Amino acid sequence: MNLTAAKARQLLKDLRLFFVLILLMAVLSVLSPRFLTLGNLSNVLWSVCIIGIMCSGFIYAPITGGIDLSVGSMAALAGIIANVLMNQVGIPWVPALVITLACGMFIGFINGIVTTKFGVPAFIVTMAAKTYLFGIAMLVSNGDMITIMKPKGFLAIGVGKLFGLPIPIYIMVAVIVASHILLKHTVFGRKAIAVGANEVAAKLSGVDPDRTRIMAYVLSATAATVAGIVMASLTQQAYAANAGGYELDVITAVVVGGTSLMGGSGSVAGALIGAVMVGFINNGLNLLNMPSSFHPLVTGVVILLALLLNQGGKMPKFILSMRKRLGDPGK
Amino acid sequence: MAENSDASEEVLLDCRKICKSYNGPMVLSDVDFSMKRGEIHALVGENGAGKSTLIKIITGVTGRNSGTMVFEGKEIGHDHSRTGAQGLGIAVIYQELSLIHGMTVAQNMFLTKEPRMPVLGIINIRRMNSLAQAMIDRYGFNLKATDVIDGLSIGQRQTVEILKALNGKASLMIMDEPTSSLTSAESAQLFGIIRQLKADGISVLYISHRMEEVFDLSDRVTVLRDGRLVEVLEKERIHPNEIIRLMIGRCLDEKDSKCVMERKGGEVVLDVHGLSSEGKFSDISLQLHAGEVLGIGGLVGSGRTELVRAIYGIDAHDSGSISFQGKPWTPGVSQSIRGGFGFVPEERRLQGIMGGISITGNIGITNLDSIAGKGFVSDRKELALSRKAVGLLNIKPAEPSLPVGNLSGGNQQKVVVGKWLIRDLRLLIVDEPTVGIDIGAKEEMYQTIARLASEGVSVILVSSDLPELTRLSDRILVLRKGRIVKEFAEGAVTEEDVLRASSGILEGGAA
Repeated sequence: MNLTAAKARQLLKDLRLFFVLILLMAVLSVLSPRFLTLGNLSNVLWSVCIIGIMCSGFIYAPITGGIDLSVGSMAALAGIIANVLMNQVGIPWVPALVITLACGMFIGFINGIVTTKFGVPAFIVTMAAKTYLFGIAMLVSNGDMITIMKPKGFLAIGVGKLFGLPIPIYIMVAVIVASHILLKHTVFGRKAIAVGANEVAAKLSGVDPDRTRIMAYVLSATAATVAGIVMASLTQQAYAANAGGYELDVITAVVVGGTSLMGGSGSVAGALIGAVMVGFINNGLNLLNMPSSFHPLVTGVVILLALLLNQGGKMPKFILSMRKRLGDPGK
Repeated sequence: MAENSDASEEVLLDCRKICKSYNGPMVLSDVDFSMKRGEIHALVGENGAGKSTLIKIITGVTGRNSGTMVFEGKEIGHDHSRTGAQGLGIAVIYQELSLIHGMTVAQNMFLTKEPRMPVLGIINIRRMNSLAQAMIDRYGFNLKATDVIDGLSIGQRQTVEILKALNGKASLMIMDEPTSSLTSAESAQLFGIIRQLKADGISVLYISHRMEEVFDLSDRVTVLRDGRLVEVLEKERIHPNEIIRLMIGRCLDEKDSKCVMERKGGEVVLDVHGLSSEGKFSDISLQLHAGEVLGIGGLVGSGRTELVRAIYGIDAHDSGSISFQGKPWTPGVSQSIRGGFGFVPEERRLQGIMGGISITGNIGITNLDSIAGKGFVSDRKELALSRKAVGLLNIKPAEPSLPVGNLSGGNQQKVVVGKWLIRDLRLLIVDEPTVGIDIGAKEEMYQTIARLASEGVSVILVSSDLPELTRLSDRILVLRKGRIVKEFAEGAVTEEDVLRASSGILEGGAA
């Protein structure tokens, strides 16, 4: 095999997810004439923005060999905190959002500390966080769905436009690009991958696994906070149950995008495509008039299929051969 | 050769002409091995002699390529399996104990064989406990059936393992280095138990590097070397020196085994004084000179690995001091790396490589200081660095983007060493650097170590491979039970000398 052929094959491999996305769009546009309309696509865009922003930080949890189940609750709580600060305490919106972000970082830091220094599995720690963050959100908001009518500057984040495009798109692109650079081109990115690939080897090579992991959970919670702020501004609502199932969508997007839940590999670009696909699937179910009680079933099956295709370990032969035909993902 | 025509004693297990290879070189060739009922039989040999493979074949963990096995008069087919072996009464007392934590002694002993209540099928806990206690009392162990495993010492847990095997009606118990993590009192207790087992007609196959144990306990000793049977010694011929001679088996006039130690006079790079770590090693003092290869010998569990880990700064020590290049030194991994240390750990796959990551990624991670500025990594510099390492050590295939897990063992190890060689290295610590790698890669590793030393880098070499240790080292320290028991600094040293010191057989020396 000569070099150009090898390169072409690699490119095909890299673009594989993209082809699957196009295929999904083609299928949906055949099934529903409303799918390829501007109105519908911009609807999808909102949910893609929220999931995409969350993914940009969340992805570091699986890359370092962990998981963060608290991102949905974190996002919902962020909207509520921001509203309290702006409209009850009366702080101007910019410092209010800065404080909200600091709260998010602090909660991520707590998740990281408990996971690393107390040795509790990330799954448990963040599941507990998911629950207590929801609890705080319920307490602060009395379980009410709060409508946010002001300040204008805050509401502009969600509904404003710049050069004809909604501002949330800029935010998503910015955090996705930043996350991509962080993963591929910085010392932290290298350390995160090393810790996920082999913690002991990384430690012996001078990496501090605990510090790297704590940073991963801080990033995850911070991105979820940003997503929560955007969501609150976009929907003009703060509601404890608002972000309930987002962690599942985020996990789906990241796994579909080729990130290993075993740690040591991940792709931010893949996660973005995954986020778009999750958006389309949810949207498609709506367009096809599937009852909303049907959505979790589909999301669950998609996660399972993506896991089977992307993860290593013991696999039935037919899946291995399928993986071979598709090219090995997740690099 | 193994002769078991002695008709007066019943043969329990008879293996003939066992051959085994794991796609490649023969690990066992035509090995005959037999055990009598109620005997204590030791299996000895250097690392790589084929002991563990033979055990794996007997216990059905792995299959044999050819040869016959007869157990209690019945032929064991090629479909022999682990469960099959258990059914026959062949039990292994594992080094890494296989008890379930959180359960009681009785629950572990009766796992999957719990006595049930009639009709209901519920476990009869009282009956289980009383049966277990009866067995414990019969052997006079200091245990209660209702003790929970977590609260027991290592020695007591081993006793539970033995009880579990007894409860499974074992007629052959295999113990692989059973004393490696026991205190001497616990070891003595274990020997008592083994003798009791023998009195009950149970055969014990005992594997140990500790010659005095083999010497004290065994009725017969089978010596393996390079996958072949060397000799079976009867009781009256069992003597530590004789066993060591047979294990090593090389003639002393062979050029490799005639190794001359020589004190290097260069600058003292590392000065360790009175280093101790509770339960690991105590009062270790050593000096390492520039360009010197210091070998550290001793048995597995003698504290070798723990000592070098402490020097590199992975684990903290309790007392003692270290100075590096003439200045007081507080160990710590990052600090060590900055100071010019390199560390090649003992378990390549578990501690050395990041298998799913490319060669470049594996090499880059220890060199972030030279390939990154202000937090950003230069891909170009990283690739150049990994190409340099690939070229320097002749890593194959020479494709830096390949995941290291896809390389052969030897090339994986070259990556682990290579990531240090491109640094300004002052001291390289290597722990069992050539385990599980082929002869060619081994030779290259030796040349690399020799070249480093000639360039003035100091090397600490921990190895169980005696020819390796004696050939590469300028000086050898032998550790035993966490203390330095012998230093070979001048004159000729043979593998036999090192093994004697490691096993605690010292002529005129204090142990």
